Amino acid sequence: MRRIRRWVPLQRLREFSLVIILIIVVFIFGNQIDNYYTPRTFNRISSTVALITLVAVGQTMVVLTRNVDLSVGSVVGFTAYYVGRYVSKNEDIAPLMLAALAMGIGAGMGLINGLLVAYGRIPAIVVTLGTMAIYRGALVEYSDSKSVATRQLPDWIKELPQESILKFGEYELRALPAIALVAVIVFFFLLLYSSFGRRLYAIGSSPEAANLAGIRAPRMVTLAFTMCGAMAGLGGMLYLARFGTITVDAARGMELQVVAAVVVGGVNILGGSGTVLGAMLGAILIGTIEQSLIRMNINEFWKDALLGLCIIIAVTVDRILINQLTPWWSRTELQRMPEEPHAAV
Amino acid sequence: MQQSKRWAWLKSWEALMFIILCTVVVANLRLSEHYLDLNNLANIFHLSIEKSLVVLIMAFVIINGEIDLSVASVMGLSATVLAERYDAGWPIAAGFALALCVGVLCGLLNGLFAAYMGIPSLIVTLAGSIGYRGVARILLEDRSVGDFPSWFTSLGQDGIIGPFPITIFVFIALFILGFVILQYSVFGRYVYAIGNNRAAAEYAGINAKQVKVTIFMASGLIAALAGAFYAARLGNVRANAAEGFELDIITIVLLGGASIFGGTGTMIGVGLSLLVVLNLRNGMSLSNVDGNTQTSVIGLLLILSVLVPNLIQILQRLVPRLFTAISRILNKGGATEPKSQVSVHQ
Amino acid sequence: MTADPLLEIRNVSKQFGATKALSSVSLSLYPGEVHALLGENGAGKSTLIKIMTGIYQPDSGEILLQGRLISLHNSAQAQKHGIAAIYQEPLVFPDLNIAENIFISHQRRNPLVRWGKLYRDAEKVLAQLGVALDVRALARGLPLAAQQTVEIAKAISMDVRVLIMDEPTASLSIHEVKQLFGLVRNLRKAGVAILFISHRLDEVFEIADRVTVFRDGQFISTAPVVEVMPEQAIRDMVGREIGDIFVKEPSPRGDVVLSVKELTREPRFHHINFDLHAGEVLGLAGLVGAGRTDVALALFGIAPAQHGHITYLGKEVHLHSPKQATRMGIVYVPEDRRQHGLVLPMSLMANISLPSVKNYRNQWGMVQRGKEVTTAEQYRQQLSIRTSSLSMPAGKLSGGNQQKVVLSKWLNTKPRLLILDEPTRGIDVGAKQEVHRLINQLAQQGMAILMISSDLPEVLAMSDRILVMREGQQMGIFERHEATQEIIMAAAIGQTLDVAAERAAANA
Repeated sequence: MRRIRRWVPLQRLREFSLVIILIIVVFIFGNQIDNYYTPRTFNRISSTVALITLVAVGQTMVVLTRNVDLSVGSVVGFTAYYVGRYVSKNEDIAPLMLAALAMGIGAGMGLINGLLVAYGRIPAIVVTLGTMAIYRGALVEYSDSKSVATRQLPDWIKELPQESILKFGEYELRALPAIALVAVIVFFFLLLYSSFGRRLYAIGSSPEAANLAGIRAPRMVTLAFTMCGAMAGLGGMLYLARFGTITVDAARGMELQVVAAVVVGGVNILGGSGTVLGAMLGAILIGTIEQSLIRMNINEFWKDALLGLCIIIAVTVDRILINQLTPWWSRTELQRMPEEPHAAV
Repeated sequence: MQQSKRWAWLKSWEALMFIILCTVVVANLRLSEHYLDLNNLANIFHLSIEKSLVVLIMAFVIINGEIDLSVASVMGLSATVLAERYDAGWPIAAGFALALCVGVLCGLLNGLFAAYMGIPSLIVTLAGSIGYRGVARILLEDRSVGDFPSWFTSLGQDGIIGPFPITIFVFIALFILGFVILQYSVFGRYVYAIGNNRAAAEYAGINAKQVKVTIFMASGLIAALAGAFYAARLGNVRANAAEGFELDIITIVLLGGASIFGGTGTMIGVGLSLLVVLNLRNGMSLSNVDGNTQTSVIGLLLILSVLVPNLIQILQRLVPRLFTAISRILNKGGATEPKSQVSVHQ
Repeated sequence: MTADPLLEIRNVSKQFGATKALSSVSLSLYPGEVHALLGENGAGKSTLIKIMTGIYQPDSGEILLQGRLISLHNSAQAQKHGIAAIYQEPLVFPDLNIAENIFISHQRRNPLVRWGKLYRDAEKVLAQLGVALDVRALARGLPLAAQQTVEIAKAISMDVRVLIMDEPTASLSIHEVKQLFGLVRNLRKAGVAILFISHRLDEVFEIADRVTVFRDGQFISTAPVVEVMPEQAIRDMVGREIGDIFVKEPSPRGDVVLSVKELTREPRFHHINFDLHAGEVLGLAGLVGAGRTDVALALFGIAPAQHGHITYLGKEVHLHSPKQATRMGIVYVPEDRRQHGLVLPMSLMANISLPSVKNYRNQWGMVQRGKEVTTAEQYRQQLSIRTSSLSMPAGKLSGGNQQKVVLSKWLNTKPRLLILDEPTRGIDVGAKQEVHRLINQLAQQGMAILMISSDLPEVLAMSDRILVMREGQQMGIFERHEATQEIIMAAAIGQTLDVAAERAAANA
């Protein structure tokens, strides 16, 4: 037992339990719904989850630094519209260039958030509450309240959601989930192995200590917001691909779903702990419950009520369990070493 | 000393809000000749009366160091309960009472999880905002319920004194009540103390959990009341009633000088900020500005109102440093010794 | 003392608004010396530290490292020059593991973290210090002494040349202080220059090579430790003659106010038994972590006891909340004033009336400011709280005055039992004496006082009886006349009670 405690960080345990819960949830739905274990269900859930996951990855970085970005919904909406408009006029633009454009716009908006938070010293919730309205307003002004329609889009972007990257028999990994998965993997390793990532944890864990350790928190926080914006920008492009029709209300309210996914995934809203893997699992759990309820023959209007219940249960259980486990799981005491420097620990 | 004290209030947030309010009013006067019409003045308040009501209690919540994202959903749920019960044949008054009880219950749930389980209220009320809205959806699904008796809708729509409906007077009464409680009562003192330093307040023998739960329950109650007013004003209810209102409400409170970290802010500041936002929106509506754009102007105002004082503070620190740097460069040019880079003289 | 100074501060000044924190002070640190810096609170010590670590910039003056002028704009630059500081309350990252905590500042140099190497290096650094810790464990919940060890390991890992220690011993037990001094001596041997700041003179004389005294932001004196007399150093610090520590006068011992039987809260403390009489000061001595504060928190209802009986004013009571305790007349002056004692942004007046604000209501339930002012003014005079205005935020007062505000707010509730937790920690000599006089006066008036203190002379001077705890256990209760520093210490570090008792008997 001690060995396990020593080698398995608590965070992995948290993620592991999310996986278990996910399996149980899937099992329950599988018993209730006929033809549940089909590729169709999988695809349906995975493409819903992909979008939220992508934006949740960016949000995770911001939340780790003890901040929150409520403007992501507006950023997704704006970039979706802008990119849609752009691609309808320049049909021959390379997909990667378009993605770069979307991420660039998102990053710009994130940068503004970051600068205001880090250098303007305004609480993140205030800044992003403001920019949420401002970016939405920018979308309205820019679009003149017109919409982007599916027929204006080039074929490749319309077909992107059906594109299959990997196939396991009838189960396929389609483009949107694949992109989200790549983002999760990249950022998982970035946060675990890069000093940038570790410094994000440090800042969220103790801003005072970070300051004394010579960590330039404003720069890191700005960067986290910028990356979050970039991910939301990419999310905007995928939103366009998935829905085709973009109105001024595109992705309104998405920020709450994203924050919910991050929180259910065990990322501490007070900063310092959590991973993008958790955020992804949180998004999958929420997405699975949501989509499965729609399939179930009970009233679909139950969806939101159950979702709210689900969030509060997840957070409460996590809180209680982690509070009980932490001291026991990673417990160490100062021990005076015997005279020989190489004595056993 | 006397002089500086007399003018100290000028530096306060309330003064800033007052100046902005004056600017907005003057601009509105120039923009539209209808601004001062009695009907327009009534409209300024009337069209946002539900939000204004909830702003009052949100000030308590935020000064106490918490946040309540679920108010809009509670408003929607309360309107829904009232409508659904009316549809099922209950008298309006009974539905109204039930709606208020549901609101208090929602607040109690928020409060219990936030104060007793120790989960950040941002999360609790986020879940609440999704969940309570969900309950409203279960009740009404995608129906729209209306056809309330005329006495009920006229409560929300028709003026009792000139064009001003009774809801405005309810608001004024609650504002005065809120002002007195927050600034002058023992409870208000506790709200500030807990918002500033919860541990110290508890060590002083204050039951912080109880205070927090009380505030959340009051928040639920007022939101439910506002929801009922909303039903009366609009005359029909859908499950998505009042969706998205929470952000406007929180923005007004923050613009009123309440810190998101709790402990600061006054009822006067919040009242002024409410007037600023309502007049600004009214002015923009009179000049046919889109609703979303109006919101973004208010968002900009929110950021600027916090940014500008911060920038001034940063500049106050930077400018002397800039002078030192310049004098350093000048000294460096003039001096022959390499060591006299810093002026040591006083 | 070898050759040239490693770090030299020359004529450094710093002003905050109207107050001059430092006026043209100078100080030099030589490699391989422990240089003690003494001064009352507000003498400018912390400002100097912050200037040396790049957190503040001096208004004028210069800093020289090995004879070369350097400028420090942030703590990263100070670290690059090998200047590091360890604070009274160590600042670790609770969500990072110990190894990461040690090497956090190194990460600038390599963009990727090699976890295996990180763990091995961390173990090596800790081994150098002669301690072992699980480097994979999170720093959350680590005992204070272990956190301090992590901070020192951090400093060593950065090839520190100048180490500033700001009251590192304030919250350590005697045993831990010994351990720390061992580390300090090793560092000194390795040629590190150490600036050691402490309020405890005996420690300074034990460890320091030279002593510098600041007063009111000014440099007063520097001398080798052998040439400094303690009395002289104190005179330099306060600028006036002060007598020995105030000794409590005997007071009439009244009825039993509080009787505690077999009080237990696992794993903090177990089987605590004592009676506390009106007019008596019961000292609660022991090392940090012995469970003294936990007993106090149980009596104040914050972390209630699990077993045992508390009899208060003749009735058995179950204390479960501060609100209830306060109503019954049991009050607690916490160790951490800024976190638990005061609402810092609120005015001094509002802080004083906070626990009793219900008594200031008129018939409408509104708070009557006029009455509040009267009360606050009364305590300002009675406890000589030095402030320009009663509406000054409590956070702007000095430590000593803050403590007086905390005392005022509780005295205003007319308590029967006053629990003091480290009542004079971190406050200057003058205020300390005033607090002691106040305790004496309260005891004379018949208040029952339970006083936790790590300051042994204080415990001996102020207590009628002394209860010693060790690792959650009660080691014994000593009458004032039979107690000596040795006896208390012997009990606190767990020499058998017999020996201590024998000595007590011998002394008596």
